[in-house]
Amino acid sequence: MESLGNLGDGFLTILTPMNMLWVLVGALLGTAVGVLPGLGSAMAVALLLPVTFSLDPVGAFIMFAGVLFGGLFGDSTAGILMNTPGNSTAIAGSIEGHRMAKSGRAAQALATAAIGAFIGGILSSVLVVFFAPYLAELATIFGPAEYLALAVFAFVAISAVVSESILRGLAALVIGLAISLVGVDGMSGAARFTGGLPELFDGINIVVITVGLLALGEVIAVAARRGTKEDLQVMPSTGRLWLSRKEIRLAMPAWLRGTAIGVPFGIIPVGGSEVPTFLAYGTERRLGSRRKDSLFGRGAIQGVAGPEAAGNATAGTAMGALLALGLPTSATAAVLLAAFRQYGLQPGPLLFERASDLVWALLASFFVAMVVLLVLNLPFAPLWAKLLKVPRHYLYSGITVFAMLGVYATSSKILDLVLVLAIGLLGFAMRRYGLPVAPVLIAVILGPLAETEFRRAMAVSEGDPTVLVSSPITIVLYLVLVLGVTGLLIQRARARRRATAAAGPAA
Amino acid sequence: MTRASAPDTGPAAYLSRRTGLIVPLLLLVTGVVLGVGTLTMDVPANVTSPGPQLFPTVIGAGCVVFAVLLGVDVLRRPEPEQIAAPADGLAGTGTAPFTAAAAPAVPVGDAETATSPSATANPDPDPDADDASTEDATETRVRSNRWAVTGLVGTIVAFIALLEPLGWLLSGTMLFWGVARSLGSRRPVFDLFLSLTVSSLVQLAFSAGLGLSLPPGVLAGVF
Repeated sequence: MESLGNLGDGFLTILTPMNMLWVLVGALLGTAVGVLPGLGSAMAVALLLPVTFSLDPVGAFIMFAGVLFGGLFGDSTAGILMNTPGNSTAIAGSIEGHRMAKSGRAAQALATAAIGAFIGGILSSVLVVFFAPYLAELATIFGPAEYLALAVFAFVAISAVVSESILRGLAALVIGLAISLVGVDGMSGAARFTGGLPELFDGINIVVITVGLLALGEVIAVAARRGTKEDLQVMPSTGRLWLSRKEIRLAMPAWLRGTAIGVPFGIIPVGGSEVPTFLAYGTERRLGSRRKDSLFGRGAIQGVAGPEAAGNATAGTAMGALLALGLPTSATAAVLLAAFRQYGLQPGPLLFERASDLVWALLASFFVAMVVLLVLNLPFAPLWAKLLKVPRHYLYSGITVFAMLGVYATSSKILDLVLVLAIGLLGFAMRRYGLPVAPVLIAVILGPLAETEFRRAMAVSEGDPTVLVSSPITIVLYLVLVLGVTGLLIQRARARRRATAAAGPAA
Repeated sequence: MTRASAPDTGPAAYLSRRTGLIVPLLLLVTGVVLGVGTLTMDVPANVTSPGPQLFPTVIGAGCVVFAVLLGVDVLRRPEPEQIAAPADGLAGTGTAPFTAAAAPAVPVGDAETATSPSATANPDPDPDADDASTEDATETRVRSNRWAVTGLVGTIVAFIALLEPLGWLLSGTMLFWGVARSLGSRRPVFDLFLSLTVSSLVQLAFSAGLGLSLPPGVLAGVF
C-alpha cells in the first residue's frame, strides 16, 4: 500500500498547470508522430532530448511519457483510415481496422483502437505501480554477473526477434557495439578509437547517435524513396463514434486478452510492441474462427481491440522494466534511458530511492497522459488524419532543421554535426538494406555497461570465468536465451521449408 | 568503390542488384579499424586484466565474421531486379522487408541502359555524399532516388560548413529550403519565405524561450 501513497504524492506533483501543460504537449506531439507514417515516438523523444535539456527533469519526463503513449494511440489512425500504419506497432491492428473502415465502420474502428490503447495502458500502469518497487528490490541483489547476463539477453533477444534475419540483427548489434567503444575507457583511462581528438574522449554523444539513426536516417530514406507512388487516400471516417453494447461485448474480452498478452512482453527485450501485437491478432483470429458470425476478413472489432491493447500494455510494462531494472526493451525505451542519463540519473533499483519524487511523478503522469490521450483521440481521430495532408517535404525539412539544431545546441561542436550526418547515412544504409535499427541503439546504450560489468566480475573472481554463470539468476537467463533462440531458429527454418514447399508446385 | 570502377557490361548489372554489399564492406572496415586501433592503443601500465583491449578485440572479430556472413548472404540472395509495388508506409519502420512481389524478367539490355547513365553521370562532388549516392545506382529506380539523396546530403554538408561563418539564421534557412527542394518541393520562392520564417522562429524560441545560444555569424550586429 506504500505504492498508493507514493503514487498520490506523484499526482500532487504533476497536477500543477505547468506540468499538465507538459503532459498535453507530449500527448499532442506523440499522437502527431504516431499518426504520421515513418515517424515514431523514439524519434520524437530523440529530437526533444536536446531541447528539453533546460527543463526540469519532471517536466521533461512527463512530456516524454505523453510522447511514448501518444505514439501508440496515434499509430492506428493512419492504419485504419489509409491502410498505411503509422508505425510497425500498428500493422496488426490495421489489418481488421482498415477492413472495418472499408465497410463504413471507420469511426467504430478508431474508437475501438483508442479505448483498447487506453485499457492496455492503464492496466499495465497499475501493474507497474504495484510491482516495479518489488522488481527494483529484487534487482538490488543483482551483481555484475547478473547485469552482464541481462545485457547479453537484451542484445541477443533484440537482434534475433526484431529483424527478419538473425544475421542482420546481429550485424546491427555489432555496429552499435563498435560505436559504443569510442571514447576514454572508464576503468583504465585508456583512450580508445578517438583518433586523438579530445572531442571524442567522452565518446559519441547519445543524442548524436539517436538523432542520426532515427531522424536523419529516416529523412534520407524518404529522399531515396522520392518519386515512388504513394497512396495517400484518406477514407472518410463514417459510422457511429460510440460503440454499441453488442460491440463492447465483443471488444471487451479482446481488450483484456490483448492486455494480458502485452504485459509480459514489456519485460522481455524483444524490441517493443510488434511481437505482442501480432500475437494478440493471431489469438483473436483463432478465437474468432470458432464463432459462426465471425467477421474476420470483413472487419472484426476484436482484431482491432486485441492488438491495440497489447501494444500499449507492452509500452507500460516496458517503462516498469526500464525504471526498476534499467533494462531497455525497445528502441523507445533505449532513447528514454539516454534521456535519464542526460539528467545524470541511472534507471535501476537505486532510482526508486534516489529520485523517488521523479519516479512517482512519472508513473502518475502515465495515468494522466492516458486520460488526456483518450480525450484527444477518441473524438478527434479523423481530425488527426488531416495531418497526413501536410506536404511531406516540409515536414521532413522541419525534422532535418530540428535535428541539426538540436545536435548543435547540446554541444556547440561542428564535429557532432559531421558525426550526425555520418550516422544518418549509416541509418539510411541500414534501412535500405533491411538491417534493424533497434539493436544499434540497445548496443550503444548497454554496451559500455556490459563491458564494465564483465570486467568487474572478472576482477572480483580474479579471472575465473565460471563466476559469470555461478548464480541461479544468470543460469536461468542464459538457459532461457539459448532455448528461445533455438526455438526461433527451428520455427523460422520450418516456415521457410513450408514456404518453399508451397512455392515448389506453383512454379 | 567496387561499383564505381565496374564497366557497364555484365559485372555492373551483377553488382547493381547487390549494392547491399556496402553493409558488409562497412563492417569489414569497422573491424579492421578496431583491430588496428586495439593494437596501437596506449594502455596505462597498471591495468588489471581483463584490460581495455579485450572488448575491442572481440567486437572487431565479430565485425569481420558478420561482414563475411552478410556478404555471402547478399551475394547469394540479390535484390529482385524490379519491385512491383512501391514501398508503402511500412518501409519507414525499418522492419519491413522489400517485398519482391512477382519480379518480371527484365531483358538484360534493359538493365544495362538503365545503369549506364548513372555510372557515367556520377560526378560525386563530395566525399561525404559518396557512399549514399553510389549505393543507389540500381536499375530499380522505384525505390532509390539518387539525385534526391545527393541533394539532401549536399545541403546538410553545406549547412555544416556554413553554420559558424554565416550564422544560424541564414544557414538554417538554406537547410530548410535545400531539404524541401531535394524532397520534391516545386515552389522555390514560397519555400524561401517559409524557410526564413521557420529559421527565425527557431532562433527566437531558442534564444528567448530556452536561453540556448545559436551562432549569430555575419548577422552578429543585427541581433
